[in-house]
Amino acid sequence: MSRKKAPSGGAKPSKLSYERRKALYGYGFIGLWLLGTIWFFLIPLGKSLIYSFNSIGIENGNMTMKWTGLDNYSAALNKDQYYVDYLEKTLIETLWKTPLILIFSLFIAVVLNQKFRGRTLARAVFFLPVIIATGPVFRIINGDMDATGTTSGQPQFSTLMKTDLVGDLMNFLGYGTGGRITGFITAVADNVFGIVWSSGIQILLFLAALQNIPPSAREAAQIEGATSWEYFWKIVFPYVSPFVLANLIFTVIDSFTDPMNEVMQRILVFQTVDINYGLASAMAWIYFGIILAAIALVTFIVNKFVYYEVD
Amino acid sequence: MTDNKTELSEKQRRRQHMQSLTKEERSYLRRRELGDKLWVVCRAVILCGLGFIIFYPLIYMISCTFRGRADMNDPTVVWIPRRPTLSVLRETIEAMDFWNTLLNTVLLNVGCSLVQVLSCAVTGYGFARFSFRGKKQLFGIVILMILVPMQIISVPLYFQFRFFLGTDVNLIDTMWTMYLPAMTANGIRSGLMILIFRQFFRGLPRELEDAAYIDGCGPFMTFVRVMIPNALSSFLTVFLFSIVWYWNDYYISSMYFSETKTIATTLCNLENELKLRLFGDATVKISRREQAAWRQAGCLISIAPLLIMYTFLQKYFTEGIERSGLVT
Repeated sequence: MSRKKAPSGGAKPSKLSYERRKALYGYGFIGLWLLGTIWFFLIPLGKSLIYSFNSIGIENGNMTMKWTGLDNYSAALNKDQYYVDYLEKTLIETLWKTPLILIFSLFIAVVLNQKFRGRTLARAVFFLPVIIATGPVFRIINGDMDATGTTSGQPQFSTLMKTDLVGDLMNFLGYGTGGRITGFITAVADNVFGIVWSSGIQILLFLAALQNIPPSAREAAQIEGATSWEYFWKIVFPYVSPFVLANLIFTVIDSFTDPMNEVMQRILVFQTVDINYGLASAMAWIYFGIILAAIALVTFIVNKFVYYEVD
Repeated sequence: MTDNKTELSEKQRRRQHMQSLTKEERSYLRRRELGDKLWVVCRAVILCGLGFIIFYPLIYMISCTFRGRADMNDPTVVWIPRRPTLSVLRETIEAMDFWNTLLNTVLLNVGCSLVQVLSCAVTGYGFARFSFRGKKQLFGIVILMILVPMQIISVPLYFQFRFFLGTDVNLIDTMWTMYLPAMTANGIRSGLMILIFRQFFRGLPRELEDAAYIDGCGPFMTFVRVMIPNALSSFLTVFLFSIVWYWNDYYISSMYFSETKTIATTLCNLENELKLRLFGDATVKISRREQAAWRQAGCLISIAPLLIMYTFLQKYFTEGIERSGLVT
């Protein structure tokens, strides 16, 4: 088959032009996916959108639909006592956690990119969360760290902050902040666990980006007398900035689509316990709309600051 | 002796060199050296501290797993159990029906991952190398697949399998519910995998294929004979990640499976199962510390296979991403 269809360089005139044939092969390569995606993705997606405008009932194993317009949406936003709260909570958490995860993972990536003994081991340790953090094990670990009394992990990290040492220090220095900074630092310290555990892939990506920086850039910077600080901001940062966007989007999607987050749990309740598919779909679509808007906004903002080497 | 001498002379030379510098230059060099040394200490502290945060749950799991009954209620036992036993481990393995579940999971996991890597690679190649009408829009669907949370499509998808192709064929609780999407590059996180492969194939030189075309190879044969051998390490990396994702998935598998058990779903039901087995009553209340022992033991044995895999194939996880072409 291969010999017949190969481009024969004009020796034998074929019926289809080379371009057309290549296009057909393109469809051939993606055909299987296209078939599957229509069946397992696009149709369910459309159906779910339709569900969200209907009230769904189940009678003798058959589904009945009744058009109710935007009722489900208003029910999700106005009547459900938890949904809006959870939505708000998840959004705010993502909003402050994402930058922290990014800064942290960039920092760790820079450190892990330096040469020192035991680097391979250190890398192996920091990527370990990648294989655990997506599963139920992580949820259990996280819960147990929160709530097992004597051996609890998280609160220990923040006892230092609980005594408001930072606030005292700031007061001493003449900046009365009313404990707001302390509050923030406490929140961060409480979440060190979560941040470290959800930065695996981000570190991996940043590290790969860092290794793409040509060594000559470092040499040139050193000859010009740049300090490490300047080197980081003027050379390293522009190089990794495209990956800041990739990582940002990855982090946002990961935290939004995490089956453990509260909005998802709430949606799950209506899918499995109080069966109300219409309401569940409406909730999921509102949520998805917010995700899309957030990602579009982030992409738009970050793209203005990104430096692309080739373009 | 000679060694010592050369070193000495080097020292002397260095001293001479230092003396030849101005005062400012000397203090600059000294400051830099001090800074470098301080940084080494700081780095060690930071890495050890954060490493501890990562290891903490693992150490905790191991500690819990080997606790005896008496240790569970003894608040003075923090890390090292006083009366170490294997009974918790044994009970947990029994309650999870571990070996059968493991076999099931591996069958599902490795099979699906393998099929999905292949199908995603083929799709990614199609997007990377051919131009056809509607390519942009179709690739938009791939991006959409990454963005849409599974929860949106899960209910309609369930009905899709319950009444397969509109007939009365019920695929729920069979492995087809996992294999069919995997085969057609629509399984867990396949959008991301298509994207990775597309980036990877775009990064390979076109000359590779041109040479094959001139030798009379068709596009499919070129893909099999030329591109796949070049992409093997990238295949391996994506395959490993895919195994991890399938292993950790419990949302999708708990939706489709009630009889077929996977590690993740049994872990989620472990608590009730254990209460039934140990106390004969699913509603019995036991203290947090006691619960933790079995729960952590369950965690430990469910990630043990992954951990073993990670220790041996760590290289492919950490270095593979660079080769996978996601970063170009």
